[in-house]
Amino acid sequence: MGYGRFLLKRGVQGVGVVWGVVTVVFILRFITPGSPVDTVAPLDASQATRERIAADLGLNQPFYIQYLDYLAGLLRGDMGYSYISSIPASTQVFTKLPATLELAVAASVVAIVISIPLGVISATRRHQPADYGATTFSLLGISTPNFWLGIMLVLVFSVEFNVFPTSGRAFGFMDSMRAITGPEPFFGVLTAWLASLFLPAITLGTYFTALITRLVRSGMLDELSEGYVRATRAKGLPETLVRYKHVLRNTLVPVVTVLGLQLGTLIGGAVITEAVFAWPGLGTEIIRAINARDWPILQGSLIVIGTGFVLLNIAVDALYAYLDPRVVAE
Amino acid sequence: MSQEDTSRRRFLQAAGSATAAVALAGCTGDGDSTEGTMTTSAGGTSGDGDTPDTETETTERPEPETRDGYLQRANRHVHEQAPWVFLNRQYSVYGQSEDIDWQPRTDERVSAYAIEPATDSGDDVVMTQSQMDSGLDPQDHRETPTDNIVLQAYEGLLQRDREGAIVQKLATDYERLDETTVQFTVRDNVSFHSGDSLTPEDVAFSINRIVDPEVGIESPQTDQLIGVDGAEVASTDDRTVNVNLTGLNPIVFASFATYCDIMNKSWVESNDDAYINQNMEGTGPFVLSNYEQGVEVEFQRNNDYWDDEAAISTFTINSASESSTRVNRLLSDETDIAVNVPPQEVSRVEENDGTSISAVPSTRILFNAMRYDVEPFSSPEFRQAVNYAVDLDSIVENVLQTFGDPTGQPTLEGFFGYNEDLDPYPQDLDQAEQLVEDSGHAGVEIELVTPIGRYLRDVEIAQAVANQVDQLPNVSASARQVEFQTLVSQVTTGNIEDKPPWYLLGWGNATFDAIQTIQPLLSSDGALTSYENDELDSLLEEAQSLPSESN
Repeated sequence: MGYGRFLLKRGVQGVGVVWGVVTVVFILRFITPGSPVDTVAPLDASQATRERIAADLGLNQPFYIQYLDYLAGLLRGDMGYSYISSIPASTQVFTKLPATLELAVAASVVAIVISIPLGVISATRRHQPADYGATTFSLLGISTPNFWLGIMLVLVFSVEFNVFPTSGRAFGFMDSMRAITGPEPFFGVLTAWLASLFLPAITLGTYFTALITRLVRSGMLDELSEGYVRATRAKGLPETLVRYKHVLRNTLVPVVTVLGLQLGTLIGGAVITEAVFAWPGLGTEIIRAINARDWPILQGSLIVIGTGFVLLNIAVDALYAYLDPRVVAE
Repeated sequence: MSQEDTSRRRFLQAAGSATAAVALAGCTGDGDSTEGTMTTSAGGTSGDGDTPDTETETTERPEPETRDGYLQRANRHVHEQAPWVFLNRQYSVYGQSEDIDWQPRTDERVSAYAIEPATDSGDDVVMTQSQMDSGLDPQDHRETPTDNIVLQAYEGLLQRDREGAIVQKLATDYERLDETTVQFTVRDNVSFHSGDSLTPEDVAFSINRIVDPEVGIESPQTDQLIGVDGAEVASTDDRTVNVNLTGLNPIVFASFATYCDIMNKSWVESNDDAYINQNMEGTGPFVLSNYEQGVEVEFQRNNDYWDDEAAISTFTINSASESSTRVNRLLSDETDIAVNVPPQEVSRVEENDGTSISAVPSTRILFNAMRYDVEPFSSPEFRQAVNYAVDLDSIVENVLQTFGDPTGQPTLEGFFGYNEDLDPYPQDLDQAEQLVEDSGHAGVEIELVTPIGRYLRDVEIAQAVANQVDQLPNVSASARQVEFQTLVSQVTTGNIEDKPPWYLLGWGNATFDAIQTIQPLLSSDGALTSYENDELDSLLEEAQSLPSESN
């Protein structure tokens, strides 16, 4: 099987998975208690009003008609309209996506910047104070609840010392890019953007920092006991070069895979962090849609996240297949 | 609805020409409340709220003569028959910065028009509430967070002042023409934000857009203007609009004082729903300057406002669902008003320099409904016993940290129809135990269903109630939490049988009239009823057959 056919096969499988996501989400809507009409209509609305609103939202149609209509709409790029605001679901979902992506990428950057040096130090100074410090940090990082950490960071850095804003997103990545040429002072926009991003990114990134620190430490320890390390040392290479050029490089291959796949988890898992920091992203939108039974928004958000997962997986597969032709042959 | 048909019939039968003429004549004007003078006909002034009478004794009281009297009698009936555990009136609690001068309103709505700068930095005001709008169409929503946003730019014919009295806004006059017609005179020299002049056509169109599904949208506000059939321009020369009613509808002006924002007909007709939900074209004191859906709404002062210009230049509304985040914003000077500060956060706001708490009794009542048709709640003695078992003062003191008032009737103090002779049930465990024995349900197990996080401290209140009832030696009680939407889907089906036997619910009533609480929640054909009783139904019918003394 050639590389092209392999990619095609993965692509078709991906489409199947996305279709499965759409279907499962659609079925969930029918087995979830509570009707959207209850959130649109006042509590004391008459039955007649309820029925009219249901008809207006198309909820009086049988399951299969609603399902086929929705699928047909998706093929046209139409996710329907929010039950609550009448705004197209695609508009509402895609305007919230950048904030969440930004937060996920920033959290990954925090994780990479802190965890790799920490993992290396921990592995190369095994059973020394630095190692104990790093492993204690990762234990704390994995067991600290996100929302608690977020609230504590805000109390200390925003309320007490007033260094960062408490919450919200003053500007986005695109705003700061536009400010390069725009009338607003670029530096001001950039710092405001980074300041509002800092605490949420730390909060969301801590768990992954801890996770990857452990991964790097154990990976590095495994590699250090490999035969090629002894060979390079015997060749007379300086220890720094051995550790950082050869060992770390080999350790990073699984780390990059984990990071790639975790980016999807970060997007889906940003919900609590977004709530604590009133971050206007997809997580906040999903919570709102769940509370309001705003199914078009919920479906749209879940489909976007699901599709993101599938694309990331395909990208990782494709990269593997490119690096290791044996994968294609299987 | 059959209720209006009955009202109409009753009106024709009973009102009689002379009484009706006098009463109708009193229905015009500026909305001065005369309810205070009506209490003599309330049906007894025995002040016996602590010892409920039986139904026979109730009917021996002299017949009320006024609508107020009938509503007060209805409240007495409900107090005595206890279809609810009466709990508390909720408070609206705001955190406020010293940069602004502002007093909160009873009806939970925050109007930036009432805010004045107190310091130099108070000219640009920011407010953080728990959630953003559900779209900017003022007729296509129904909840307070959206109200707070749309009311800055849109206005109705009538409005309420801070204490809840009706005042004119876009109408300069309002009166009843006959039993099924009321007339509004539309203010002259008012323009929309686009510059278009306000016309009687806009007013008639706006009313019809709510009550008539053929006009534009399925408005969820239809039931808020219930009994309104439609509107038509009476005369463009003297700027009058006639509103046709399906029955007498005594609270029609009270409804218009709370609902029905006026929109620009041509603007609405030339734009689609999505556009109308992301833009604003009202007559109000603020103009929309920036809208980021779900994130932030910014307003600027309307310099062409028909009345005095607003005191502040800009008003920004954003949201944070976490109460601690809202308080943190206030403490860090990022916002000037934090809406819904929960009791546990109050001390942080009060102890901080430059911020304070503003609290006001709201229009929302919290209660535990007990279904009249299932044992043991089918027994009035048992329902009274549960009321005697509960220590309302302790709940208000300890759970709500004094941000609440105990209640003993479905109508709140200050509302039309409130019966001031009725006191909340005191806690009396001996009497409660005896009443349980009398009811024949000793040894029963009951379960209180409560929503989670819908109302201020709802779960804690339900747990306190269940614990207190559980202290009775002959009843065991517990509380069970459900998601609010699950409870809603059970209580709104229109069938009493679908509801849990005992559940906690809150009810806001922005019309300041008893009927809007008792009718939907306790009358036989109420959309959410847990109680059926012919005597109560006939009291409400009588009340609805008479015009309201207050407007």
